[in-house]
Amino acid sequence: MKIKQTAKPIKRIAVALVTLSTSIFSIGLQAESYLFKNATLHTATAKGSLKNADLLVRDGKIAQIGIDLTATDGVKVVNAKGKHVTPGFINASTNLGLVEIGAVSSTVDASTKKLGASFDISAAVNFRSTLIPQNRINGLTRAVVMPRFGKSLFAGQGAVIALHSTEKGLLKSKAVQLARYGTSGASHAGGSRAAALAMLDKALSEAKYLRANQAKFTPGIKYQFSQSLPDLKALFPVLERKIPLVITANRADDIVNIIGLSKKHKFKLIISGAKEGWLVADQIAAAKVPVVMDPMRNLPGFDSLAVRLDGAARMYQAGVKLIFVGGGSHNAYLARQSAGNAVAYGVPHAVAIEAMTINPAEVFGISNYGQLEIGMEADVVVWDGDPLEVTSNAEFVLIQGQNQPMVSRATRLRDRYWELKGNQEQAFTK
Amino acid sequence: MKIKLLVIPALFASLAGCEMKNETEKKPVEVERPAPVFVSTYEPLASNEFVIKNATVLTGTGERLDAASVWVKGGKVQAVGQSVGAPQEVTYIDAKGKWVTPGIIDVHSHLGVYPSPSHEANADGNEMTDPNTAQVWAEHAVWTQDPGFNLARAGGVTSLQILPGSANLFGGRGVTLKNIPSITMQGMKFPDAPHALKMACGENPKRVYGGKKRAPMTRMGNVAGYRKAWIEAAAYKAKWDKYYEAAENGEEKDPPKRDLKLETLKEVLEGKVQIHNHCYRAEEMAIMIDVAKEFGYEISTFHHAVEAYKIADVLAENNICAAMWADWWGFKHEAYDSVKENVAMVEKAKGCAVVHSDSGIGIQHLNQEAAKAMAAGNKKGLSLKAKDAIKWITFNAAKSIGIEDKVGSLESGKMADLVIWNQNPFSVYAKAEKVYIDGALVFDLMDNSKNAVSDFELGITNPEGERL
Repeated sequence: MKIKQTAKPIKRIAVALVTLSTSIFSIGLQAESYLFKNATLHTATAKGSLKNADLLVRDGKIAQIGIDLTATDGVKVVNAKGKHVTPGFINASTNLGLVEIGAVSSTVDASTKKLGASFDISAAVNFRSTLIPQNRINGLTRAVVMPRFGKSLFAGQGAVIALHSTEKGLLKSKAVQLARYGTSGASHAGGSRAAALAMLDKALSEAKYLRANQAKFTPGIKYQFSQSLPDLKALFPVLERKIPLVITANRADDIVNIIGLSKKHKFKLIISGAKEGWLVADQIAAAKVPVVMDPMRNLPGFDSLAVRLDGAARMYQAGVKLIFVGGGSHNAYLARQSAGNAVAYGVPHAVAIEAMTINPAEVFGISNYGQLEIGMEADVVVWDGDPLEVTSNAEFVLIQGQNQPMVSRATRLRDRYWELKGNQEQAFTK
Repeated sequence: MKIKLLVIPALFASLAGCEMKNETEKKPVEVERPAPVFVSTYEPLASNEFVIKNATVLTGTGERLDAASVWVKGGKVQAVGQSVGAPQEVTYIDAKGKWVTPGIIDVHSHLGVYPSPSHEANADGNEMTDPNTAQVWAEHAVWTQDPGFNLARAGGVTSLQILPGSANLFGGRGVTLKNIPSITMQGMKFPDAPHALKMACGENPKRVYGGKKRAPMTRMGNVAGYRKAWIEAAAYKAKWDKYYEAAENGEEKDPPKRDLKLETLKEVLEGKVQIHNHCYRAEEMAIMIDVAKEFGYEISTFHHAVEAYKIADVLAENNICAAMWADWWGFKHEAYDSVKENVAMVEKAKGCAVVHSDSGIGIQHLNQEAAKAMAAGNKKGLSLKAKDAIKWITFNAAKSIGIEDKVGSLESGKMADLVIWNQNPFSVYAKAEKVYIDGALVFDLMDNSKNAVSDFELGITNPEGERL
């Protein structure tokens, strides 16, 4: 009885808190309206690039695209003549919010030795990390946050975020499952990739069995499965094709074998790495498997002897859907430099833009994002030049319609030291 | 009292002078001086005389010449300018719409010592057995068949300094190579380039040795370690100086026992070996400048120098180059204060700014790294041009490693190490179209069948670069 009585007020407080946070939330989301005039719009749609075009943002969404749009009252006009506009870019392979300083383990939350596929990183994402603004002011507005590998062949479940500095940035948790194959998988599987393949197969088969016979199994009891019950249950959405399973593989035959595994278990496979993917590009394309890759990573390893700078272009020509990443987490925005290099080696410019916008949006199930298209959420970036060019800078960034201050810890440090004043005075320059 | 004190040393001095006078009458004893070892056998490849015409030329000396020519003869730059007065019968290469720069120089590479494929058996860059391994030489571990050399050449890199890693306070000697295919390291070794001694500040040495519960465990221990080593080096140098001095004076003595570790440090004190100091934080760089002053050596370059912008004026005053990345940060706490304007801010303070790679991928795109650094500075209001940014990866880099009298700029008499780019090199779309070393074509984008393939790649990739 006592417990019940005390429980009630707590519940009420909780409700009140939710209401309060909801109201803050809606104030925050009261986005202003913007009209971008005379820009080159890289739409990431079949329309490609539109020159001297206007784009209207209202209520956090792209409301209109056309020529000579006129601003109504209260609409802020952004003169974008000579500028380029893209959807905010997304990096589909980051540890954003999970890593502050790589070598300081207390600031790294990316992996665990305790859980396998059931590891869900979303609660660990620190939206106040200094990495978020530094990437945001450089035109990255979204990211897939992936776990790193811990104790299992399965790293766990990743999340999709928008690069806001509060928890509202968490758009979708448990959005993707990550597993390893190839050299990394082999080393985890006792020394052979063949064992890794068998172990992945076994885990998926067990998950399938468990899903069909759930009533037989009581949580908390240890069964003779290769994975814990929660880890197996975390694979259900993969088997149900609700979320994709990203598997790392570089060697050509590794890729072929993983495609075979995806056919057997009928999951939505994404290959990550694919350094020798161009050798089996036709098979990747035929299986409709998207590829996440950094096209600049061309140093040969024993699992990637045939890697080459035009590998991305060759896969594109074979019809593979590409997702470009690069720059790690601290500089996740540098995916665009990698994309630019892919263009230098034969990928069409528009395709490279799609590889950082609509392709990952589709593949990772991120709705209403990834194109300059009416009705899409307004992740809009204005660039002072070609958005894939290393000399271009982001000038204006909207995330879900919200104008972002172009400030990061790095810009504050830069401004403090721009004029050198010596030991004593510098600390008072803010 | 004061006068007495002054008088006594004066007396001693005159006595010493007398003694010396007597001894110089003796015939000097001939002693063996250490001969150069692992000497360069580099020979320039055969080259023809040619003129590149109609090019946009970035000289590396801060100039941009439009519709200009570069005349190469005997492997050397003969003349650069709008009209170079070359004879008609030599080969003319029309470079309309193209850009010509000096060959790119990377002052911080681990190619050959941390080659591709990367694995333990190939990891030869850190002798992590003692915080002072000044006796080890990177050139003894360079795997000349590292396919990374060829990839770097395709990125326009013609010279590079291979350094040991940063695990130790004194990591060992670095070597400067011509980026030329060669079976032996000696065949790549840049003739008469000074050796480097790699030193390291900060987190790495204290992590590596502190983790083993031995010194250094702290930055205090780091600095104590440098000072201890320099004290020993000074004593070692004095021993040898005394030995040679005695020989000059006709005294025959047994030579001191050679110590390879102290020999490297001694050569630093003699100005023969240059200090390349891995150091991120501003206050640590300031400490290292004082250590150098205490023991009378000079620091050539702070490598990585993530906080160079905080003390850009001090670095300029002390004539120390800062070798930097365009934007790497956050992998360690000492790399947390990175700003994208770092390179530009060192340039703004009239310092010696260098963009380095420290990466087998970055070395292939140093033009892009410099481009990003330039763009960041310009966004903040500077007006840096291609002619300025090219210095960060050519002339200033050459200055940093002590070869600026031979390469790093397109000036008459210098080695004809140069790159024809298919467009402005400070674009993500730019590619090195032709790369020359000492006037010889060593990379041709248009004809891959003529480009070098390492032993490692042979049988793995065919001459077109495809997998067999």
